Amino acid sequence: MRQGGGWLLLPMLLVLAATTLWPVLWAAWISLYNWNWGTERDFVGLANYVRLLTDPEFWLILRNTVVFAASATLVEMALGLGLALVVDRLGFGASLVRTLLLTPLMMAGIVVALMAKVLLDAFLGVFNWLLSLLGLGPFAFFGAEHSAMATIVAVDAWWQTAFVFIILLAGLQSLPKEPVEAARLDGATGAQILRHVTLPMLRPLLLTVLVIRTIDTLKVFDIVFGTTGGGPRLATEVVQTYAYRTAFSVLQISKAMTIMLVFSVLVTALCLVFLRVGRREA
Amino acid sequence: MEPRGRLARAVALAPHYLIALLALALTVFPLLWILGISLKTKRDAFAIPPVWRFEPVWENYVRVLESPGFREAIGNSVLVTLLGVALSLLLAIPAAYALNRQRVRGRRVLAVWLLLAYMLPEFLFIIPMYVLYQAIGLYDTTTGLALAYQIHVLPFAVWLLRSFFAEVPDELEEAARIDGCGSLAVLWRVYLPLTLPGIAATAVLNAIWIWNELAIALGLTFRHAQTVTVAVTSYRGYASIEWGPMTAASILAILPMLALAFLAQRWIVKGLTLGAVKG
Repeated sequence: MRQGGGWLLLPMLLVLAATTLWPVLWAAWISLYNWNWGTERDFVGLANYVRLLTDPEFWLILRNTVVFAASATLVEMALGLGLALVVDRLGFGASLVRTLLLTPLMMAGIVVALMAKVLLDAFLGVFNWLLSLLGLGPFAFFGAEHSAMATIVAVDAWWQTAFVFIILLAGLQSLPKEPVEAARLDGATGAQILRHVTLPMLRPLLLTVLVIRTIDTLKVFDIVFGTTGGGPRLATEVVQTYAYRTAFSVLQISKAMTIMLVFSVLVTALCLVFLRVGRREA
Repeated sequence: MEPRGRLARAVALAPHYLIALLALALTVFPLLWILGISLKTKRDAFAIPPVWRFEPVWENYVRVLESPGFREAIGNSVLVTLLGVALSLLLAIPAAYALNRQRVRGRRVLAVWLLLAYMLPEFLFIIPMYVLYQAIGLYDTTTGLALAYQIHVLPFAVWLLRSFFAEVPDELEEAARIDGCGSLAVLWRVYLPLTLPGIAATAVLNAIWIWNELAIALGLTFRHAQTVTVAVTSYRGYASIEWGPMTAASILAILPMLALAFLAQRWIVKGLTLGAVKG
């Protein structure tokens, strides 16, 4: 470690300040006004916050976002872990399987969304045709209020499970072999080894992946925007699509910034909780 | 291993192969089906039951590529991706080096700042930048978009590069210092050659992220700097009328990154896993 050399950080700090610090300060300032792109800009104090926090629509959207994030993260963690455990054991063909399973991760979310719209179309989609062979359906996957959210979760899982999979697979392959061998010699079954040896060793990595997926799914935009656009009615509207609509369609900049600030405080609080848990684990 | 042991092992692994095959089918089938639709005539695309055997036609691709905007959008995406990645490396390489090797005041504050920039939802930053960009003429420009992408790619590059730089032995730096190298010379002559694979991994992952990004591009571009993802979005309305051009546009939008991912697979896995383990 040597003194000085902080100037090497300067260019990054300038860009970071311009792209993140300034926007947040401006957002906080404009949230105290009522500004809708016009020439008028009334100072309203904290009225925007009061209005937002007493608006049942906002709570519904927040609930949708949390439901989506929790379900998608859980499904992706479970499937990703399962796949990692399976592929870790494969001999022949393991690297080909890994490569192909990674494909969805390289695709744009909006493309995944449009693909899902075609494949899951209520009338002409191939999935409804396949289900009809079993005597089921047709289902309006995205069109019905009770199924739209579950469908979006499934689409996100198709897209992002590979992320959990690839990281946990790398984690499994880097674990020491001795504890598993020792447990096996002691006569432990596969399930016992998994539960008492492998998973505890994988725990820090599981936590990291959990944090990354939770934060990422809370920010969901492309999948909702590309499939339901938040509908039917508000069944799948999430915070980011709501803020986008508020700012760019309804042009209520002050309200949109209030939404984003409140939501960001919640996300930050969650990050802090995760950090604390992580530190206690370590 | 004697034959019986090998057979027993193969039998024991049969369920594993079955599950892997199922996962592969679920991953690949949707992609192949979409590819199929993009190569069908309009009548075949909508046929129920589906048409399995058909003569591929290229008219959907021709239509997409001839439509005003889509080719420009591909050009814009290439430009924004190159510009965004170059800028992130230019800023993050010296920063990661300084954070690793030098006593910088406020290091913890900076770490939290980077984490928040990376984790907070895009529109917190993008709506104010939209207003600012309108005022200073950066709205709907590739430069402006590449700059805005730093919110996400810069923290990621700093984390990843820090873990790669940490593997460079101190003695090499000390030797270079004794030879009279300053910080920049050390970075250029010692760090860059040794961590080139790590830098490539960072560049590839950020390139994929930028190419695939939608929310920021939607907020900060309109016509001139429109990227591929935004161009694909305009086919949303085709979902009920015309699947051909929509699926063709989708395939065209993902092809470059699938090709890059295939070529740079080792770096991607390395970068992803390192980023998650240490980030």
